[in-house]
Amino acid sequence: MSGHHISTDKTLLGVAAALLMLTILTVGVNYIHIPAPWNIITAMGIAVVKAGLVALFFMNLYWDERFNSILLVAGLAFFGLLVGLTLLDTLFRANVMPAF
Amino acid sequence: MDTAESSSTSKKIQVQRYKPDDNPEKHYLNEETGLWSWLTTVDHKKIGIMFLGAITFFFFVGGIMALLVRTELWTPAKTFIEANTYNQLFTLHGAIMIFLFLVPSVPAALGNFILPLQLGAKDVAFPRLNLLSFYLYLTGAGIAIFSILNGGIDTGWTFYTPYSSTTGGAVTTMVFGVFVIGFSSILTGVNFITTIHKMRAPGLTWDKLPLFCWGLYATSIIQILATPVLAITLALVGMERILGIGIFDPAMGGDPVLFQHFFWFYSHPAVYIMIVPGFGVVSEIITTFSRKHIFGYWAIALSSLAIAFIGFLVWGHHMFVSGQASLASMVFSFLTFLVGIPTGIKMFNWTATLYKGSIDLKSPLLYIFGFFFLFLVGGLTGIVLGSIALDVHLHDTYYVVAHFHFVMVGGMVMAFLAGLHYWWPKITGRMYNETMAKIACGIIFVGFNVTFLPQFVMGSQGMPRRYFNYIEQFQPFHQVSTIGSFILGLGFLMVFYYLVKSLFGGQKATANPWGSRAMEWQINTRPPLHNFHHIPVIINGPYDYHKPMEEFQLGLAESPTDGHGQESDLEVTSDGKEINAE
Amino acid sequence: MADHSSSTTHSRFFQHHFVDAEQQFQTAKMGMWIFLVTEILMFGGLFAAYIVFRLWYPDLFTQASTELNTFWGGVNTVVLIGSSLTVAMAIKSAQLNQKKNIAINLGITLALAAVFMVIKYFEWTHKFELGIFPGQFYDFGGIAHEKANVFFSLYYLMTGLHGIHVLIGMGLMGWLLWRSLKNHFDSEYYTPIEITGLYWHLVDIIWIFLFPLFYLIE
Ligand code: HEM
Ligand SMILES: [Cu+2]
Repeated sequence: MSGHHISTDKTLLGVAAALLMLTILTVGVNYIHIPAPWNIITAMGIAVVKAGLVALFFMNLYWDERFNSILLVAGLAFFGLLVGLTLLDTLFRANVMPAF
Repeated sequence: MDTAESSSTSKKIQVQRYKPDDNPEKHYLNEETGLWSWLTTVDHKKIGIMFLGAITFFFFVGGIMALLVRTELWTPAKTFIEANTYNQLFTLHGAIMIFLFLVPSVPAALGNFILPLQLGAKDVAFPRLNLLSFYLYLTGAGIAIFSILNGGIDTGWTFYTPYSSTTGGAVTTMVFGVFVIGFSSILTGVNFITTIHKMRAPGLTWDKLPLFCWGLYATSIIQILATPVLAITLALVGMERILGIGIFDPAMGGDPVLFQHFFWFYSHPAVYIMIVPGFGVVSEIITTFSRKHIFGYWAIALSSLAIAFIGFLVWGHHMFVSGQASLASMVFSFLTFLVGIPTGIKMFNWTATLYKGSIDLKSPLLYIFGFFFLFLVGGLTGIVLGSIALDVHLHDTYYVVAHFHFVMVGGMVMAFLAGLHYWWPKITGRMYNETMAKIACGIIFVGFNVTFLPQFVMGSQGMPRRYFNYIEQFQPFHQVSTIGSFILGLGFLMVFYYLVKSLFGGQKATANPWGSRAMEWQINTRPPLHNFHHIPVIINGPYDYHKPMEEFQLGLAESPTDGHGQESDLEVTSDGKEINAE
Repeated sequence: MADHSSSTTHSRFFQHHFVDAEQQFQTAKMGMWIFLVTEILMFGGLFAAYIVFRLWYPDLFTQASTELNTFWGGVNTVVLIGSSLTVAMAIKSAQLNQKKNIAINLGITLALAAVFMVIKYFEWTHKFELGIFPGQFYDFGGIAHEKANVFFSLYYLMTGLHGIHVLIGMGLMGWLLWRSLKNHFDSEYYTPIEITGLYWHLVDIIWIFLFPLFYLIE
C-alpha cells in the first residue's frame, strides 16, 4: 500500500472553510422555511455532505485503504436496515401504540 | 498492505521444513509462570484458557439452575420452590447461558487460542485489548452476580418492556452488567476482524483461510454490528427505570414494541453469534477425520457470511404476535425462510465431504454427528416457527423452547464440545480417555433428546413457556423431560471428569495426533510462547489431504548464520507450485 | 510522501508480534475503524428511535424544537469543526516531525472541546431552570403536546451520549498531549494521534447530524 498521506495546510483549511460555509448555509436555509418534507431533506443533505467531507479528508478515507471505507459504508448500511425494517412496522400499524 | 500479499511478488523465497516437536521442554505454559503472569498475560492462548475456565464455571452455574427449574416442574403445582424464585431461576438460567456461556464459548475461548495459530500469527492484532475483553467479561459477570444477590431479576433473559421497566428487583444493575459483557464481546469482534485481515502469514490468501477462521470472521461481523444496538437498548431500559424517559414505557408515552425491535435486532443475529463459530468447528473436524478435502470450500465460507447478513433481516419473526404491522410480519416471515438456504448449503456440503472419505470415528467426529442430527431438527423447526400462521399458535410455548435448545445446545454446545475434544491435545498436551468420551457423547445425545423431544409435543399441544403451574395433562411430558435433563447433566459431568483427569496423568499428546493438515497442528504440542519459532509460509490449503505432510511444515528459511534446527532447504517459486528439496 | 514500510529502525513503541511498523500502524487504524462502526450502530439505536417518533409526531418536533437555541447550537457546531481541524493539523505536524506543533494543536483541540462542553452545560442548566427535565421529571407547560417529554428525553439522551463521547475524547486528548510533551511522537510513530483523531472526527460527524435534527426544525 501507499505510505501515509500527508495533507497540506491548504486542503485542511479548505475543508474546514467549506464546513463552516455549509453550517451557515444550513442555518440560513432553516430561516427561509422550505415546506416539508423538503426542509428536512435539505438539512440532511447538507449534513451528509459535511460528514462526507470530514470522512474523506479529515479522516483520510480518500487516500486510505478501501476496506476502511467499506467499513464505514457497512456501518451506515446496517443502521439503514435497523431503521428501514423498524419503519416497516411503525409506519404501517393499525394503531400507533398497540393496545394491551 | 497485508503480509500475505507480499508473497505474490515474483521473487523466489527460501523455505525450510520445520518439523514440530511432540513434547518440547519449553512451551507457553512454563515459560512464564505464577498467578501474576496469568492475570497480566497478553498471550492469546492463556487468555483463551482463562475464558475457557470462566465459561465452564458459568455453564455449571447455569446448568444447576436449569436442573432446579426442571425439578420444580415435576408436579403441576408447587414442587419445592416459590413461583417468584422460579421466575428468577429461569431468567438467570437464560441470561447466564447466553451472555456468559454460549456467546463467548467458541469465539472467546477456543477461537482465541486457535485463530492466531491458524493464521500463522504470533498473537492477535491487539493483545492488550484481548485481555481487557476478558476483564470486561469478568466485571460484567460480577455485576450480574451482584444483581442476583441484590433482589434478583425475573424478566426473562429478553428484558421485555414495560415489565422490565416497572418490575422490582435488580434489573437496572443487571442490564448494566450485560451492557459491560456486550463490550467484551465487541472487543473480541474488533480484534478478530483486524487479526484476520492483517496478521495472516505469508501465502495465506483468502482462499486458503481455514473455515474456522471464516466462521469467526462472520461471527465477529455480527458482534460488531449487532452488539452496540443491544448496548444502547439496555442502556435505554436502565434509563427508563431511572428517569422514566418514555421511549419504551407506554405509561410515559413510549412504545414497548420498539424495544422488541431493538432487542431482536441484536438477538436474532446473536443466535448466529452462537452458532456460526460452531459451523467453523464442524468444517475443521469433518475434514480432519474423513481425510478429505472439504467439499465446496467457497460455498461453506460464503454461506457463513450470507447467514451473518440474512440474520439481520429476520428479527421480526419474534414479534408476530406483538402487535407489529402485519406488513412487517409478512416481510419478516418471508425473509426468515431465506436463512434456510445458506444453512442448507452447509449441511449438504458437509455431508458431501464425508462421502467416500476414510472416516475415522474419533470422539470429536462423534460429537459432530450429534450436532448434525440435533441442529437439523433445530433448524427445521425454526422454519416452522417462521411461518406466521403456525407461530401464532406456537409462540411462547414449549415448542419454541425445544426449538432453540435444539439449535443452541444440540447445535452449538455439541460443536463446542467437539472443538474442545479436537483441540484439547494441542491446548493441554494430553489425551483424554477416548472410550469415556464416546460414552459421554452417547449419554448427552440420549439425555438431550429425552429432555427436549417431549417439549415439542407439549408445546404444540399448548403448554406455554415460563409458567410455574401447568394443567395435569402435561405432567407425563414434564416428567420425562426432567428425567432427561438429569441424564444430560450426568453426561456433561462425565466430560468434565475425564477432561480434568487427563490433565493429571493422561497420555501425552503428539504434535499432530489426528494427522491434520491445518496449521495449528504443524507446531509443537504444547505451542511455544510466541507460537512459531519461524515465520510460517503457506503454500497449500488447510484441507489438502492429498499432499504429503512435509509440504505443510514450511517456514521462511532463517539466515544460515543462526543455527536453528535445519532439516532440508526447500525452494519455492512465487506461485507455490514447485517445491524441490536440495 | 513518507513511506515507512521499509524502515528497519524500530520505534520503542514497536510491538513484536507485528512484522514492521507499517503493519502495526495499518492494523491499529483498521481496528479503530471497526470500533467506529460499533459507535455508529450504538448511536444508531438512538437515531432510529428519533426517526420513529419524529415520523409519528411531526408536530411535536416542530413545537418542541423552538425551546432549543439555534445560535448556541450553531456555535457549538463551529467549535467542533474547529477542533476537528486542529486534530488533523496535529497529525500533519507529527508526520512532518514538527513536534512542538503537535502539542499546540492538541492543546487547542482540548480547549475547543472544553468550550463545547461549557456551552452544553449552560444549555442544559437553562432548560432545567425552565423545568425541562428528562423523562418523568419533565415539568414544563410551554409546549402544547402530550408527548413533549419524549422529545426532550431524546434530546437529553442523544446530546448526553454525545457529550460523554466528548468527555472521553477530552481525556484521550489530554493523554496525547502529555505524551507529546514527553516526546513520544514523531514521523515514525504517531499511531495514537491518528486513531484518536479518527474517533474525534466521528464525534464531530455525529454532532453534524444532531445539530439539524434538534435545532433546525421549523
Ligand atoms: C433455520 C434457522 C432458524 C430459524 C428459521 C429460526 C426461527 C425462529 C423463530 C421464528 C423463532 C420465534 C419463535 C417464537 O418466539 O414464537 C425463534 C426463536 C428462537 N430461536 Fe430460532 N431460528 C433459527 C435458528 C436459530 C439458531 C441457530 C439459534 C441459536 C443458536 C436460534 C435460537 C432461538 C432462540 C433463543 C429463540 C427464542 C427466543 C426467545 O423468545 O427467548 N434459532 N427462532
Ligand atoms: Cu430469530
